[in-house]
Amino acid sequence: MLTKKQKRNNWILVVVMIAVSLFFLFPVIWMLANSFKPDAAITDDMNSFAAFIPPALNGNFFDNYIKILTNTSFVRYMVNTLFYAAVLIVLGIIVNGLAGYALAKIKFPFRERWLMIIMLLMIVPMETIITIHFLFIAKLGLLNTVIGYILPMIVNPFNIFLFRQVFVSLPDDVYEAAQLDHCSPIKYFFTMVLPMSKSVVATVSVFTFLNVWNDYLWPSLVFTSGDLLTAQIGLNAITSNDNTTMGQKLAVITMITVPVIIIYSLFSKQIVEGVVSTGSKEG
Amino acid sequence: MSFIELKNVCKKYDKTDKNAVTDFNLAIEEKEFIAFVGPSGCGKSTTLRMIAGFEEISSGELYIDGKKMNEVAPMGRGISMVFQNYALYPHMTVEKNISYGLKNMKVPADEIKKKVDWAVKILGLEEYRYRKPKNLSGGQRQRVALGRAIVKEQKVFLMDEPLSNLDAKLRVSMRNEISKLHRELGSTTIYVTHDQVEAMTMADRIVIMRDGVVQQTGEPMELYEHPCNKFVAGFIGSPQMNFYYVKVERDGITFSDGKSAKLPDEVMAKLQGRNRVIMGIRGEDIKFDSQNLDLYKDTRQQSVIDNTEIMGNENNLYFEFGGIISVARVSKYEVSKIGDVVDFVMMPQKMHFFDEETERAIF
Repeated sequence: MLTKKQKRNNWILVVVMIAVSLFFLFPVIWMLANSFKPDAAITDDMNSFAAFIPPALNGNFFDNYIKILTNTSFVRYMVNTLFYAAVLIVLGIIVNGLAGYALAKIKFPFRERWLMIIMLLMIVPMETIITIHFLFIAKLGLLNTVIGYILPMIVNPFNIFLFRQVFVSLPDDVYEAAQLDHCSPIKYFFTMVLPMSKSVVATVSVFTFLNVWNDYLWPSLVFTSGDLLTAQIGLNAITSNDNTTMGQKLAVITMITVPVIIIYSLFSKQIVEGVVSTGSKEG
Repeated sequence: MSFIELKNVCKKYDKTDKNAVTDFNLAIEEKEFIAFVGPSGCGKSTTLRMIAGFEEISSGELYIDGKKMNEVAPMGRGISMVFQNYALYPHMTVEKNISYGLKNMKVPADEIKKKVDWAVKILGLEEYRYRKPKNLSGGQRQRVALGRAIVKEQKVFLMDEPLSNLDAKLRVSMRNEISKLHRELGSTTIYVTHDQVEAMTMADRIVIMRDGVVQQTGEPMELYEHPCNKFVAGFIGSPQMNFYYVKVERDGITFSDGKSAKLPDEVMAKLQGRNRVIMGIRGEDIKFDSQNLDLYKDTRQQSVIDNTEIMGNENNLYFEFGGIISVARVSKYEVSKIGDVVDFVMMPQKMHFFDEETERAIF
């Protein structure tokens, strides 16, 4: 049983939490509510509480969205981004997973040093090496190509580290049993290691998706053609266009934000599990 | 040539100067059931893993079915193995666990089905066929591991402490199942255990190891009756053999607490020229009944019961004698209470004598 004092404290906590979440949510709610309004209504409601309330459902309710989807290439940018994300998730799991597996289970000279070096790479900010990536991709003649965009994004030291931490705790005797079952090392990785480590695979997939979805700098350097642009670049192009109305801008921002929120709420358990298990399963 | 031969097999790990296994020599006949037994760290699992190919053989030679196997990968050695922690594939059902190896070996599907049907039937796993390992008990998991090993029909069957994670009752029943399975399949089996009871009850021959060195190889009763040194004598048998540090006199021995016993001439003849030796006697060879007290009156002693262990079928009596807490095993009809003063004799023909320094058996 909770005492009276504990009950009162709980209530205070709930109220404070609601206030804090509202504080963080209000720009999102404002964006969502106004993305359904024509510009005139947005300006009218600006100084009142109505700024947080969506307009009544009528025939023009989705106007801003329809205009964006029909008049711009935003759908194409979103499809591009989903495609890049899918490719990078698959390649990232294979490449970073294999690297993590090697660092966890295969004995080779200076293994621990290699791990140290890879972990050190985690603290190097992307911005410091992006010029090198750019020059490299330019030298290879891969600017404004899908391959040029994807290539430097595959390897991710943080994901290697995540994989390594989970794989280290996989039992060795399962590998030995698989060897006696005539299972090759590569087959073992795909049919045993990955299925046994579903939570870290999910974590890495979510991180990769968010990374690709939210990245602005790298695609803005690599891509020049409209056909290959990502959603973030498209967003910038659309919002900085003088012909786009305020409501349309908000509609575009909403469309780019909502997937992230959905992904986070769907996979928050896996994300936490994946990250937590990498710390505690060591041994 | 025997079916499996180990010749001077040694294992030395990097960065250590002691061998984990030294000069292991053994010839195993086809269909034999061999147990490697010894305390933890004695090198028995290491030896098994060298036979499996999971550990490199530092020096020496391993032959299976006439072929030298030192450099052959595990899957090429014609072995299957049951692991201590089962090592099942956690994301696969019982059926898939058992059939996985066959699939990789490109066995036709209908044959795989036949073999899996057979395996789940003889192991009593029919109703668990579509369950995953996490929904099985320890005993069921171990059966799946056995199933996975037997369907491949390899010539050699390796088992690394397969029962050590099971509770005592289950261990006894699984022991019987494994023995039965061995008789039915007729595969050559090497079984590693730290439990001398498992080794004694299941094996045709036992290899006792200590600190990486084979102490003695032989049939269970041979090791029990004629241990080659004090270690083997103490390791085999429960309760442990009583060891007394005794002084050899003209016509008998004197214990360290000053008590003495007269021994027959033929025993004394073998101890001739020795001053101090270790005398070992098993609990069941210490007798309390009047007939034996009469028969072996030259070794008659007296002591006070210190503690008793009632097992039901028999009792263990503990008492102080000869400078140690001695233990005797008596039938359930010979009841003694703590504090009772008892007379007992030690059967001279059952005594074992070991050199005090080398601890080797004198006879």
